[in-house]
Amino acid sequence: MSTGARGFGLAALATSIVLSAAGQLAMKVGMRELHRVGIGALASADWVALGPALSWTIVGVAAYAVSMLAWLLVLARHPLSYAYPFLGVSYVLVYAVATQWSALAEPSSPLRTFGTLLVVAGVVLVSATGAHRQPTS
Amino acid sequence: MDELLLASAILLLAAAQVLQKRGAVRHLAGGPGPGGWRSALVSPEILAAIACLAFGTALWLAVLYRMDVSKAFPLLSAGTILVLIASRVLLGERVSPARWGGAILVAIGVALVAAS
Repeated sequence: MSTGARGFGLAALATSIVLSAAGQLAMKVGMRELHRVGIGALASADWVALGPALSWTIVGVAAYAVSMLAWLLVLARHPLSYAYPFLGVSYVLVYAVATQWSALAEPSSPLRTFGTLLVVAGVVLVSATGAHRQPTS
Repeated sequence: MDELLLASAILLLAAAQVLQKRGAVRHLAGGPGPGGWRSALVSPEILAAIACLAFGTALWLAVLYRMDVSKAFPLLSAGTILVLIASRVLLGERVSPARWGGAILVAIGVALVAAS
């Protein structure tokens, strides 16, 4: 694989990871807004009240969609079992921002922090081992 | 209810990963040329992946409506285990013992987050 192609693959991987975390957080803010105005606003199609909820949700889903397209480019170059675990980085991003950002301010507990770290350790172990041979193209 | 929503979302999103990989390998392996993109986007694998993604994302929004994202998102990593199993069984990729060890760590982490 040429250096340029590898750089492109890494850029796609980084884009995918950051946007997938941002998408989760924006979708959660959207659902919080929906919770705030009440789900009845959906039934009565109160678009003014639904504005913030819909905006955040659409932004979140769009970020998620773009992260998926970048992911497709990554998958064209790497085995799934190699590429997928790198998404583990996004667990750290989501956890850090969800608990530290005032818009969400989710409670963190030692159990949840430790569990999340185990998840990250697991996905790093899955991705760092096995020395997968790159496709020879 | 929360568990059922979560399990369905995880299953659909993991299935989308495997379908995307099959589509990418079959149609984009030579690089993202214009013809490759078109045949990839209308391939059965990618259309099925998009359907799984759309339905899975709708369920995921329902999960986020009910649950902290700092709790729900780590639980989504249970999909990693499903994808690892699928990459072995359906895609025929080799999975080393160390990778299975990683999957076990993920499973323990998921159990702890679920209990939090």
